[in-house]
Amino acid sequence: MFVASRIAIAVSIIILIFIPQFASNYVIYVVILAMLFAILTASYDLLTGYTGPLSFCHAAFYGLGAYTSALLTLRTGMSFWQAFPITGIWVFLFAAAVGYPALKIRGHYFAVTTFFFGHFVYLFLLNSRKLTNGPLGLRGIRPPDSILGIDFSSITASYYLVLFFGVLIVGFLHLLVKSRIGRSLVSIRENEDLAESIGINTSFYKVLAFSISAGLAGLAGSLFAHFFRFLHPTDFAWMISEMIVIMALVGGLGTLFGPIIGAGVVKFFLELVRPAPELRFILLSIMLILVLLFEPKGLVGIIRRIRGEK
Amino acid sequence: MTEEGFKKVLEVRQLRKHFGGVAALSDVDLDVFESEILGIIGPNGAGKTTLFNIIAGFFPPTSGTVMCRGEELTGLRADQIARKGIGRTFQASTLFSQFTVFDNVFNAFHMHYKQPPWKALLHTSAVREEERTMKQKAMELLDFTGLASQKDKLAENLSSGYQKILTISIALATNPKILLLDEPVTTLSPQMVETVMGLVTKVRDTGTTVLIIEHNMKAIMDYCDRIVVLAYGEKIAEGLPREIGENREVVEAYLGVMG
Repeated sequence: MFVASRIAIAVSIIILIFIPQFASNYVIYVVILAMLFAILTASYDLLTGYTGPLSFCHAAFYGLGAYTSALLTLRTGMSFWQAFPITGIWVFLFAAAVGYPALKIRGHYFAVTTFFFGHFVYLFLLNSRKLTNGPLGLRGIRPPDSILGIDFSSITASYYLVLFFGVLIVGFLHLLVKSRIGRSLVSIRENEDLAESIGINTSFYKVLAFSISAGLAGLAGSLFAHFFRFLHPTDFAWMISEMIVIMALVGGLGTLFGPIIGAGVVKFFLELVRPAPELRFILLSIMLILVLLFEPKGLVGIIRRIRGEK
Repeated sequence: MTEEGFKKVLEVRQLRKHFGGVAALSDVDLDVFESEILGIIGPNGAGKTTLFNIIAGFFPPTSGTVMCRGEELTGLRADQIARKGIGRTFQASTLFSQFTVFDNVFNAFHMHYKQPPWKALLHTSAVREEERTMKQKAMELLDFTGLASQKDKLAENLSSGYQKILTISIALATNPKILLLDEPVTTLSPQMVETVMGLVTKVRDTGTTVLIIEHNMKAIMDYCDRIVVLAYGEKIAEGLPREIGENREVVEAYLGVMG
């Protein structure tokens, strides 16, 4: 990695650490959501950006994680600290079970399948009233129990909690994509037949990427559930999956840090038009069209161009 | 050349492949011997590439078996067959076109890593040491195939001749005992044909058995030890290049029945 990128990452983390010290609660709240979406886009990038299969159901795993974690703490009295890892593992395994047959379908057919799977999960959350309280939403979720004397019901503590796990997750993804496993994933994206001919078990690696990506989205869902403390199925509807796709594209698929920047930038623009919610869809569509027309590699592509690489 | 003393490395028995109602291969038998260059020729649609795809495990045969040194290959996945020592190239230079030449070859060392994947994730010193070894091996391979001077170019920017050599280099990185080349010199200039076929001979001399599908008759006649002819999914002839050139049935398959 270039020195400039390392400095940029260090500076961003330092800025993120200091934001709660001077920003208003509203800004802190928006940045927490942006960070949650950054976890979602970064994990989404592992599957779609690095491995290739185009997925439209990332919000479904986000939602599964959120509801799983919330219900585990509500129904069994488990603390967040137990529910959080269990949620990650459960969503990982669930995704493996779904991904194994689904990833045998290739190309656009897979994309369409994920689209309907995402909608199926949404409808399940909406209609399972006994389990999820359906359209009325799930209330009364507790904040994480305090540890080391930190009270996680405050917004500042939630902020640092999300930042902490966000950095851990992105760090993990970075190590993963820079390892030979990451190279195998990129080989599959570039040419699946050729990847197979050099001995890469492509179906295994695709299911692995799909499951890790989903498991991390599940963790983001758990963080969201115990920060927001109210869940509604529309928070995980297909529009949210779409937003994750657009954020990742705007930032630059297959670059890991691009989708993270994309999450921040798109969230920022969406906040600007908060007074007129109808504009959000138009704005999202415009961003998508601009990226696809002028720079398919997104913001990272623009940065690279400015720095004169390729 | 079915003499005793030559070790069979590949045995294809009664191989049959139907795509719907179309018989791409019907009851093909084939023996391949150690360290030979075997040419596979035939008109378009004869089933040559289908034969390669079945041997390499890209799709299963309708019936019949493929054995490699007494071990059955039919039913294995493509990546498992690659691990059994069968390397292949594809028609129409199939490369990781967005990678550099070096990365194309470096990637292809995938199955030689011994360090467990979870250690790779932690980037331990043993893992970094192993990656250095693989990089060195990739460099040696590029020297062997004559691509060292091109190593930093993007694969898609290479000339078509170098691209063909790169596809062979990728297959060689898997360290195959049997190498399947699908049209390695088609569309190349006469000099480049010599270069590529020279490389193929060099590969054979290291003890690798080579099967070549090719339409360039000069390359086939000059470099192959033995030739098999397929037409309409059936094996119609087999023999030394000289015999095949004089075989009336082969000439008819290519040019149509004469007078």
